Amino acid sequence: MQLPRLLFLLTLGGLTLFFLPIRGLTTDSPLEAVRSTTNRVVLVLKAPENQGPHLREKRIKQVSEIVRPLFDRREVARRTLGVYWRDRTEEQREEFIEIFTELIEKSYGETFDKQAEKYLDQVEFLYDQETIDGNFAEVNTRIFVPSQKKHFSINYRLHQVDGQWLIYDVVVENISMVRNFRTQFYRIIGKGSYEELVRKLQAKLRQMDATRSPS
Amino acid sequence: MLKKLAVVVSIVGIVQAGFFLTGAQAQMGSAGQDEVAPQPIADPFEPFNQAMLSFNLKLDEYILHPVASGYAAILPLEARQGVGRFFHNINIAPRLGNKLLQMKLVGAGKEVGRFVINTTLGGLGFFDVADSWFGLEAGHADFGQTLAQYGISPGPYLVLPFFGPSTVRDAVGLSVDGAMQPMNYLLPTYPETITARGGWVMGNAVNFRSLNLELFENVDRFSVDLYGAVQDGYLQQRERIVQDALSEQ
Repeated sequence: MQLPRLLFLLTLGGLTLFFLPIRGLTTDSPLEAVRSTTNRVVLVLKAPENQGPHLREKRIKQVSEIVRPLFDRREVARRTLGVYWRDRTEEQREEFIEIFTELIEKSYGETFDKQAEKYLDQVEFLYDQETIDGNFAEVNTRIFVPSQKKHFSINYRLHQVDGQWLIYDVVVENISMVRNFRTQFYRIIGKGSYEELVRKLQAKLRQMDATRSPS
Repeated sequence: MLKKLAVVVSIVGIVQAGFFLTGAQAQMGSAGQDEVAPQPIADPFEPFNQAMLSFNLKLDEYILHPVASGYAAILPLEARQGVGRFFHNINIAPRLGNKLLQMKLVGAGKEVGRFVINTTLGGLGFFDVADSWFGLEAGHADFGQTLAQYGISPGPYLVLPFFGPSTVRDAVGLSVDGAMQPMNYLLPTYPETITARGGWVMGNAVNFRSLNLELFENVDRFSVDLYGAVQDGYLQQRERIVQDALSEQ
């Protein structure tokens, strides 16, 4: 019965994709960029003036603001669409990037905040190493839960665009989130069409708006 | 109902559920580029797999999760973690067998060392003193991994009832790992013992679920196509576990 564990990891992976803690300061190495941005997000979440469930929306907005401009949304979208990206018009691509980003933020934002509220004080962030290969880099980090003596590995894949390191994939416990979404999207497009995928993503967004919890 | 289920599980003939992949440590990968895959993977058993995924989710929703919640309310977290370690410790046979089959002699020695230390000093394995006192970390080995090492490809994706995502190779591995459990041969085959064995498997499953109650409650929220998400998650993890076995000395 590996299903519960897998579902847990997929959730964790998605949470991290939302989290995407990277600031592509040109002077930073990829690892330093990951570390400093994680610290900035943690500071926002721990700020005394940001505490309480009624400020959830505010916290999510602030974290999004740190995160949103700092990862390569186009590259994430391109890689999740895989071979189907090629056949899209520029307009379709832009639309897809918007929908997919919104989906990630909506689906994970609230859960991320709730989990952070509960567990942020109980975990440690460990930054193990970075590997740079030309314009690509991988940063290996772990979240350590001392109470359970458990590590979760979180590896960030980055590439350099105009001198900035930007994330295009997050690999949580060996599951690449880009590949995971790509598998889902290939299945939907393969059985239906690209339009079907967009319809599904939009329906998912509407469903999430409808079921948004008040707190 | 549980009893019935337990018997069914036993009849399926697979005793070891192999939950404990938690020995996996953070991997230092090289700078990855995750090249775009050309085509979706072949999935000839998809209709069956879909049905089994639904079955497993219902099983979890109506039985495993409620039972695990009740159990978690009674037994404190530390105790349940201890139970988890106990199950891991007692299930040494398939791990040791596979380490040997994979010619991982250091790993096999570690397994024996851990078992001896944890069974004695660790109170039947409820405490992992082999790790905390002697630095012998928990490992993982299964027959699917062993088959991979001998060049057997995974074959099509296959979702098993009760056991969840697998492949043809890993399903064979799972049953061989089950067959490596000495308990299967030491105990006589009466309905009572079959039930006890099924209960054992369920106990393991309930304990594991109780340690992971909440995070995946809204999993539908996080995937556009749940079947594909689970399938890919499983395959990616297995690829890594197989890779680990190949690179281990």
